[in-house]
Amino acid sequence: MATLTPTLTLVSTDVSTDEINFSVTDSLNITKNVISPSKVKLTTSDLEIGPTTYGKSYVYLKNTDDTIAINIEVTDGNSTMQLAAGEFAFFPWTGAAGIVAYSASGTPYLEYAIFEA
Amino acid sequence: MATTTARVSISSPDLMPGSALSITANTALTKAGVVTGLTQMETGVRSIVTGTEYRLGPLATEMASDAHDIASYLYLCNTTTEDTTYYIDWGIHETMIGKLYAGDWMFIPWNASDDAAEIEIEPQGGTNTIEYAFFNSDFILTTAA
Repeated sequence: MATLTPTLTLVSTDVSTDEINFSVTDSLNITKNVISPSKVKLTTSDLEIGPTTYGKSYVYLKNTDDTIAINIEVTDGNSTMQLAAGEFAFFPWTGAAGIVAYSASGTPYLEYAIFEA
Repeated sequence: MATTTARVSISSPDLMPGSALSITANTALTKAGVVTGLTQMETGVRSIVTGTEYRLGPLATEMASDAHDIASYLYLCNTTTEDTTYYIDWGIHETMIGKLYAGDWMFIPWNASDDAAEIEIEPQGGTNTIEYAFFNSDFILTTAA
């Protein structure tokens, strides 16, 4: 068993008069499969990055491209989120439906990791 | 224009033998396709009872023009301290994606492309408490009756 510590920090001095500066962290027990931080070149065709062989997991995604967006779908065909250039996401995933990634155009690179609890 | 920055770090000393894991990523929260910072946010803390699906945040049609498309970000945390029978299912429209157990958080760019792309949450086990924040550029207040 390994311990995974994800931390999110949100900072803004001017989105409101009350400055935002907070962090939230978690301590996760990772006991099963892991896709270590990986980087893959995408096209406009679907690429499954999260297979349904995974159970309860935590997913990290980052679009490393400077201009091209990356679409992420849970495999029912619904566009779940779009990672614009440089954006990241971290979320819990059940593994009940696979995760698919494809580019809005061109061949951007996606950095990703999956940690099965 | 506001400048809001999100940063994630993911670390583990023992996930991979001989190689500590250390991931860090930063992103500035900007309007779709431009470098202008998002100017609106909505934050809150809510206790939500089990057995009910809730919509979290606005529908696409409750956001102005194209502001709903791409340029929204969601932070959501389940702040309950109960055991693993307490969690929150989260998903987009009818697609359940994951479970937030006690202390779990998530951060995603949310592509609210239409009203069928709304964020849905459903607490399980009992009353859970959420802490959340939306960042966007054009929330529209509901017109008074």
